[in-house]
Amino acid sequence: MAVRTPGLSGAMLPAIRDGSSLNQALDLGYRQVLVERGSLLAMLGPLVAAARQGIAIFVNLDGVAGLAGDSAALAFLATDLGFSGVLSVKPQLLRDASRFRLRTVQRIHALDSTGLETGLNSIVSPAPYAIAIAPAVAVPQVLGTIRLTTKAPVWGTGFVTSADQANEVLSAGADVVSSSHSEVWLDFIRIPLRSVVAQ
Amino acid sequence: MATRIAVPHARVSAVDGSVTRLLDAFARVPVAAVISRAEELPQALASQVPAVFFLRPPAFHLGPLVWAVQARGKMAFVHIDLIAGLGKDRAGIAFLAREIGVNGIITSHSALVAAAKAERVIAMQRLLLHDDLALPSALAALDHARPDIVEVLPGVIFPLVVDRIRARVPLPIIVGGFVTERGQRDAALERGALAISTGTTSLWP
Repeated sequence: MAVRTPGLSGAMLPAIRDGSSLNQALDLGYRQVLVERGSLLAMLGPLVAAARQGIAIFVNLDGVAGLAGDSAALAFLATDLGFSGVLSVKPQLLRDASRFRLRTVQRIHALDSTGLETGLNSIVSPAPYAIAIAPAVAVPQVLGTIRLTTKAPVWGTGFVTSADQANEVLSAGADVVSSSHSEVWLDFIRIPLRSVVAQ
Repeated sequence: MATRIAVPHARVSAVDGSVTRLLDAFARVPVAAVISRAEELPQALASQVPAVFFLRPPAFHLGPLVWAVQARGKMAFVHIDLIAGLGKDRAGIAFLAREIGVNGIITSHSALVAAAKAERVIAMQRLLLHDDLALPSALAALDHARPDIVEVLPGVIFPLVVDRIRARVPLPIIVGGFVTERGQRDAALERGALAISTGTTSLWP
């Protein structure tokens, strides 16, 4: 099934939680955002406007309020809103999401080795668009283990509060790093996705 | 024909849920051994660690493991969120406290912290730090639940958030999760952690 919505093009994915952080990211020139927290329904207007302008919008289904984890919610995101993809720790939810032509990002909590193992075992088919490691700052410690299981692109999300941390996550091998701190966004506006550079 | 099953008399006389004892022990040896497979237990028993955390053995085979730990003068903690076969509820906590006789219970759920305190075992609440935007609500939940001890994971986050945690909840902190090297252990202890929890056997003293 062809996906017509935009994918990611840059290595920094601004994590937003309301209309004002969305506008901040767009004003800096970002063409991609991750709705990480907050009520999706409260920022619906600005998000729809952004999606119509070709902004790639990803939603963390585990983090946002206002949506059920069911097919109706996924159909709404995909068909009515034209969002690009969803993140979740729940493999079944992602499997459903792929039926609605949403890109699926398997979130994995990298809290300890037992949890990481459970998370890696939860990756199901169809292969996810990416896997998102939370917290991102654990990426240098866990990327080796992850690469034994999957070749999917790796995003690092959570607890990236400085440009140095973002750089560490990327140089450890992550393809994308996400931060909720607008000071960090400033330094990464024109950094493209590695795979885009390679093409 | 009904088969006669021998039920071992498992009830313990008194559960030692003394936080003071644990704090004193960690002041001497600030490491807890995390056991995710029963095969790792002998090495933990032979080490100097004062506490053993059981991550996910089946609940109904837990007794002998816990008692072996206690027979060595160590304290046994069970992670109720992860063990198989046991309800994550008051009845599950009561089973661990009364029938198995664990010294403490580890959970990330505030409701189970209250249940553990009601059973007079040590309540250790896990603070799972995967997302900075979730930190304020996680700290509020911790402040409300008031466990005896907090376990912060993963270790790499601890230095970034220790001041914010302390400002909100003045509780002893154990740092766990990917603490696999001496440097990480020392860094956590230098920043004021009571102890570290690790499954890396080379870090068990």
